[in-house]
Amino acid sequence: MNDDQDKHNDEKPPFLGSWNKIYLLVFGELIVLISLFYLFTKAFS
Amino acid sequence: MCGFTGFIVFYGAWKTRKTKNVDDYLRTGKSSSWWVIALSIMATQASAITFLSTPGQAYVDGMRFVQFYLGLPIAMIILSITAVPIYSKLNVYTAYEYLEIRFDLKNRLLGSVLFLSQRGLAAGFTIYAPALILSVIFGWELNTTIILIGVMVIVYTSIGGTNAVNKTHILQLSIITIGMFAAFFMIYFLLPKDISVIDAAYIAGKMGKLNAIDFSFNLNDRYTFWSGIIGGTFLMLSYFGTDHSQVARYLSAKNITQSRMGLLVNGLVKIPMQFIILFIGAMVFVFFQFVTPPLFFNSVETNKVKSGSYSSEYSKLENEFELLQKNKREKLREFLNSNVNSNKDVSIELDKISQREKEIRTSAKDLIKKNNSDADTNDTNYIFITYIVNYLPVGLIGLLLAAIIAASMSSTSAELNSLASTSLIDIYKRLINKNANDEHYLKFSKFVTVGWGFYAIIFALLASELGSLIEAVNILGSLVYGTILGIFLVAFYTKKVSGDSVFISAIIAESFVLYCFLFTSIPFLWYNVIGCLLVVSLSLIFNLLLPKREFDKY
Repeated sequence: MNDDQDKHNDEKPPFLGSWNKIYLLVFGELIVLISLFYLFTKAFS
Repeated sequence: MCGFTGFIVFYGAWKTRKTKNVDDYLRTGKSSSWWVIALSIMATQASAITFLSTPGQAYVDGMRFVQFYLGLPIAMIILSITAVPIYSKLNVYTAYEYLEIRFDLKNRLLGSVLFLSQRGLAAGFTIYAPALILSVIFGWELNTTIILIGVMVIVYTSIGGTNAVNKTHILQLSIITIGMFAAFFMIYFLLPKDISVIDAAYIAGKMGKLNAIDFSFNLNDRYTFWSGIIGGTFLMLSYFGTDHSQVARYLSAKNITQSRMGLLVNGLVKIPMQFIILFIGAMVFVFFQFVTPPLFFNSVETNKVKSGSYSSEYSKLENEFELLQKNKREKLREFLNSNVNSNKDVSIELDKISQREKEIRTSAKDLIKKNNSDADTNDTNYIFITYIVNYLPVGLIGLLLAAIIAASMSSTSAELNSLASTSLIDIYKRLINKNANDEHYLKFSKFVTVGWGFYAIIFALLASELGSLIEAVNILGSLVYGTILGIFLVAFYTKKVSGDSVFISAIIAESFVLYCFLFTSIPFLWYNVIGCLLVVSLSLIFNLLLPKREFDKY
């Protein structure tokens, strides 16, 4: 693999600017969903 | 239904008929964008089983099955950071190619053989599920239906390879999404006028169907927060990181960015999607609180017992069940209109009615079993389809059946395509015929796709008596996923563990997982954890004990 290909592969994500922010978004959504599911379970049990 | 299904087969075959070489056939020439990857990943996982069994699962057991997917977003993040850059840098065709680069040939073969044996059987299930339903609804002969669905998938998958799989996935996921939303909104039109959406949710909650999260730690409980977040993460890491039916989807991406985004979008969307499907099941449950459901949802078995020597006993149970339903409807309205104090009394009465309902259903199942000892008394898979066929308008029935068949075809095509890739790259090209030209390998890929298609059809013809289908597939996966994941984790995260150490560890771990399955009551999600941890820990121990030799190629 040459340098050009490496550079091409290291592109930024299409939104939010960095991969860490995207990972945080995915993990944050999981936390929010678990919280909502807990409230949902409690509210209707 | 026939038009859309036929169009998918024609579209998939026609658009990709000019596939020129093996790279195009197995990886679309690495040309796919992230949104195609994301849709294809979701369509591969969303089999017909997902749409038939999952609402039925919520009807019977509540929404707690959603916890099974809690580990998925975590797995998507881990894979994006670790596996995707490695696969991309090594430019591999299959996940198992990497095992030879990192360890040795025997580990590559172990990984690919475990994959081929497990995924080959699973492909049979994904054909069997919708075929079973269509045969019950339309009275078609089951074996003919299996063969028909199987052959349709074989046609476009063998002609266009991964490109055909990805292209048809977009159409298939669209019809699936439209179908499920249509089923969801129809429930509210079919509920009695005096029952609001909130009332329906309270009824489902009162009857224990909205139990989305359970934080209790119980090893014998199949679906809890802990089994989902721990066992589920291991299972999803293995499924998306080492099962080639999924790895092949993101290996076809243009670059790392597109692969990562495909996986991460799946991480964002999958849990809400499963929640909606399970909520549909809970609402179908509420619908059947105001419309008397069949005592047993499999109409074929019901008709058999009604025409047999237990007919009068079964009719008595049906009459009692009907009376109980009327009583329950009154109590449910009382429950909704009652204040906090009287609410408790009504609640206790509703619990008693539910308990009696369960007893009647158990008695009915006993009669069905007495009448026909081969009868499957698990009717979970027939609940949602009974609602569709008996209560939705004709146009919507066609739409939902098209969605179910599309779901079956989407996952089966991805499975056949990945089975063909592994058979060609890891077995045929590596062991049997190393020096043939590209045209020969392309022909072999097509030939072996057809071969795996017929293997899946034969297994589907033999499949029956396996309880809830979605659980059967997941159990099957969990028997080997932990071990495969362990091998890959050692490969990804250790530099000095030898191929011999990991191979011996994998054999011991797999034997222990099979022992757990056969002789213990440990829930299947934990097999992923057990298998994986055993491979990793034993590899490290054996690596200290076994004599050293040159192994670090990567």
